[in-house]
Amino acid sequence: MSAQPATDASNIVIDVQGVGIEFYRSRRRKLSLREMVLRRESTSPTETFWALDDISFTVSRGEAVGLVGSNGGGKSTLLKTVAGVLIPDTGSVQVRGGVAPLIELTGGFLGELTARENVYLTAGLHGLSKEQVDDRFEEIVNFAGPQVQRGLDMPFRHFSSGMQVRLGFAVITTLDEPIILVDEVLAVGDKDFREKCYERMESLLENGRTLFLVSHSEGDLRRFCTRGLYLQSGKLVGDGPIEDVIEAYNETPAS
Amino acid sequence: MLKRYNLIWERRAILDTLVRRDLRVRYARSWLGYLWTIIDPLAMALIYFVVFALIFKRPDAGHHPYFLFLVIGLLVWQWFNASINETARALLAEAKLVRSTNLPRELWVIRVVLAKGIEFLLSMPVLIVIALVYVITGDTHLNWKLVLFPLAVVLQAFLQFGIGLLLAPTTVLADDTIRVVRIVLRMLFYATPIIYSLDLVKGWAAHLFWLNPLSGIMEMYRAGFFHDPVAKGPIVTSIVISIGFFIWGAYTFARMERAVLKEI
Repeated sequence: MSAQPATDASNIVIDVQGVGIEFYRSRRRKLSLREMVLRRESTSPTETFWALDDISFTVSRGEAVGLVGSNGGGKSTLLKTVAGVLIPDTGSVQVRGGVAPLIELTGGFLGELTARENVYLTAGLHGLSKEQVDDRFEEIVNFAGPQVQRGLDMPFRHFSSGMQVRLGFAVITTLDEPIILVDEVLAVGDKDFREKCYERMESLLENGRTLFLVSHSEGDLRRFCTRGLYLQSGKLVGDGPIEDVIEAYNETPAS
Repeated sequence: MLKRYNLIWERRAILDTLVRRDLRVRYARSWLGYLWTIIDPLAMALIYFVVFALIFKRPDAGHHPYFLFLVIGLLVWQWFNASINETARALLAEAKLVRSTNLPRELWVIRVVLAKGIEFLLSMPVLIVIALVYVITGDTHLNWKLVLFPLAVVLQAFLQFGIGLLLAPTTVLADDTIRVVRIVLRMLFYATPIIYSLDLVKGWAAHLFWLNPLSGIMEMYRAGFFHDPVAKGPIVTSIVISIGFFIWGAYTFARMERAVLKEI
């Protein structure tokens, strides 16, 4: 089986060319105002490293791509760059069609408001109109489970963290965006809910959505992905069928 | 640059959602809710009225009637103060959302100014009632220069967009910006004709006041409520400086965006 469907140009939904992102190392995360006003050379040397270094690849519609690599390899950075929440220092990222990011699932939720209000607001932030949310509201709440359903008019901060994530997952996965980005969120929730998430993701894939998944679980990667990208210290060292990439990763000695 | 702002205009439905969210959160837990936006400036106006008009016996501190003069100044200041304080934290406060949604990042700043602007407009009924009382008692007459009022609202909004767009990314990169902002705001309160009128400032200092865009904005807000002559110079400079701040802010924000996204 070929992991690479026809790379016909019109089918390309994610086009990453020569992307590099440079981060600071070995210095305080933040500058003090003094450092900004008085020139920088007076303080610690600015050592930098490339979290992503000259990454190029394309993803076609309907592909399911898994990102493989050790911690600090640049997987999440790459995912964020594709999601448009990081801007590359070199190269370009082009994404055709909207992105449903399963990153920081509960980021849009406010503890003060009820779960119901939060669903409308978060879906609204991702571009759904009130009528569209009305239509999907049942589906979202059913998916999140009976506990959430009972607490719909309760302030969101009274929810357990598991319930918060359920609701977050339910909202984001009802978006119509053709590309879904997943950053290790499948590890949350209890076993039943995780299974439910898996089923939802599979049905999304069957609908022809494009999936971009970061995971350390080989099971997840094998289950969802057909193609793998292997990132090592910010460089793309492998791109091929998921089995081959996982194998390459496992053979690499831990450094 | 135009393209960016075009995109923001296309996303105005999201802006609307965010502003509603702000207002809802603000009033979700408080009992008196919206009344607080009025009680605060009214209490301040009362304090300054007692101190200057009753204790110091200086009814000439501002235009007559002094209480009306104070209320306009303090309501305008409240919008400015809240906008600057909160836009400075706009990106940090919503760090999770900034990290997880690909919206034009300027939205986080603009929405604060608009939400605070709506609170400002919601306090207008109080101003209208106070003005009407003075009109009925014959202490003042409204005049055609009231048309400057809505213009001042727009100008002030642009000034605050500009300053906010400068401050929000700076705060992400340097934490202490917030402290500097607080001190500067406190000084600016006294350096702005809020509790006194601009014509009390004489000589070279008067021209220095022209550089404070709020001087001209205050003149515009008050023009329709009082007979006193309106200073045109500060109004012209405030228009230039406010638009200048907006353009400066827009460019600076775009330039700092990449670094900000890495830090947040």
